[in-house]
Amino acid sequence: MSALGGPAQTGGVQQPTAIGIVGGLVLIIIALAIAFFVVQMAGLIALIGIIIGGVLVAFGVHFVPVGGAPAAMGQAPGIATGVAMLAAGAGLAGLFGGAWAAEFGLAVALAGGAVGGGLMMAITCLMVNVTYIFGMGIPAASGKVDKDPITGDTFPAYKSQGTEGHGLPFISYVGGVIGGTLGGLGGTLIYLMLLGVYEEVLPVTLNASVEEIAPVAVSLAGIFAVGMFLVNAVLAAYNITGTIEGPHDPKFKRFPRAVIAAAVASAVTGIVAIMLVGVL
Amino acid sequence: MEQILFGIGITAMAGALATVAGAAEDTESDIGSQGDPNSQVQLAPQMGYIHRIFNKAVAGEPPAYGLWVALGAGIAWAFMAMQINAILAIVIGSALAVFVQGVYATTAYLGRTASLAKFGQPVYIDIIKSVTTVTMAHAFVAIFTTVAMCHLMNAALGHPFPLPLLGLVWGIALGAAGSATGNPFYGKERQYQEQKFGAGVPISASGNIVRYAEAGQRSSIDNGWFTTKLGGPASGVCFGLIVFFELWRTVVFEELNVWAPIIVGVVIILVFMVIDRYIEVWARKNFGPYTTETEEAAA
Repeated sequence: MSALGGPAQTGGVQQPTAIGIVGGLVLIIIALAIAFFVVQMAGLIALIGIIIGGVLVAFGVHFVPVGGAPAAMGQAPGIATGVAMLAAGAGLAGLFGGAWAAEFGLAVALAGGAVGGGLMMAITCLMVNVTYIFGMGIPAASGKVDKDPITGDTFPAYKSQGTEGHGLPFISYVGGVIGGTLGGLGGTLIYLMLLGVYEEVLPVTLNASVEEIAPVAVSLAGIFAVGMFLVNAVLAAYNITGTIEGPHDPKFKRFPRAVIAAAVASAVTGIVAIMLVGVL
Repeated sequence: MEQILFGIGITAMAGALATVAGAAEDTESDIGSQGDPNSQVQLAPQMGYIHRIFNKAVAGEPPAYGLWVALGAGIAWAFMAMQINAILAIVIGSALAVFVQGVYATTAYLGRTASLAKFGQPVYIDIIKSVTTVTMAHAFVAIFTTVAMCHLMNAALGHPFPLPLLGLVWGIALGAAGSATGNPFYGKERQYQEQKFGAGVPISASGNIVRYAEAGQRSSIDNGWFTTKLGGPASGVCFGLIVFFELWRTVVFEELNVWAPIIVGVVIILVFMVIDRYIEVWARKNFGPYTTETEEAAA
């Protein structure tokens, strides 16, 4: 951890390479084929859901305004913690809500997870601004744009000398809520897909009723969902390198690379989670 | 109706426990210097500023608390499965998790500080003796309250996740909320107390943290005393609100319609968004644009 929170930040858009896309697609197709071979159509659909969930998580992380160490000194805008960790906190709070609503069907559970993640970020972002404004006397100022794209507020005059900005401008707040929402949605989708596979396969392999295997299925799906969430959040954090202000930050345009990486990582980790019960 | 009333009571209790957990977590991380501001504690000796601040940021707060709370919850869960009283099981689980936290804090301090030997930073044994136990005490409060809150969610509200998994989920969320809210106050207002109030720390001042107190050198325990004035309570309110609203919208509105908690959740998000915009505008209006001292004098 350096004083400025990470390596040099280019800010430039780095598009995925052709070899990366082809290699990724091959891995995804192999994983889908294995899923179909092991658990037939249910496995294939579950893995597609897991890949979509992973992509949503990685995409959502790019919205979350994270300032890391510089934000803790009011040297850069954003929330003063790590990208992956903050996104994980929000996404897992969403997963909690989604898992609770799982009995009411896919749509309600997904919406519950999304709102849970968004709510966590809405409260956290508000308390960050409360600390900056009422504890430190510092108004919000972006370092990446001169004008807030939503409210039209101008920032250069409010930026302290020798800093890149501070606090959470409204666009960053909205980005945080969107990021939390997508994280909660993605995490819950991964959980529900795995839960569906386990509830279908485990009663047959263990020769027990669905009620009897429910604790095992819920625990396994929950642990794998948390694990896959962290994999995708960390991948996105590597793509961001250090800090990001939100959807208005030039670094946001790097997301296609993270989306492809997350799809491949979700396919590979997802197939391990499915094979765990499929090959029993 | 009785079920809803019972649920509201549990929700209020869980929210209160979460508030205490958030405040204790932030204070623990500030005394132990585990948040992002620790980058300055690590940087200071490299810039020639030798200090007596604790230094244990070998992991971020969210994964560290994910581990400790999941550990406490796991042990408590095992004891409860052996028919041991729930409160006793949670106390024993939290106490054992705190021993792991103590080992983590000691080895992290020794490792991180020893790595600064080439810059002349000594390893102070008296700091390990005096500060580690204080961080452990605060960690116990944070872990106990979070595990107790998770037990309520599981046993009283019927969440499907087993206790250790709830511990992992809410431990990570606790660390995320506490570090997000409390870090700027510890970093800017305490480590850089000599810098101007109402402005960010200039990048050129990096590493020049405050190292002296009213008498002698500043201790990390003083940092906990300072951050409990705002950073700790704000983190507590943050985590308390998250837990309370997450449970409240489900417990109260699920009986009306399965979609009602979601609609209420969206409304709550919009309300918080309006409050945020209000205080943002309030700050711009009341604090005004940034001015240097010469500009102020000329005016």
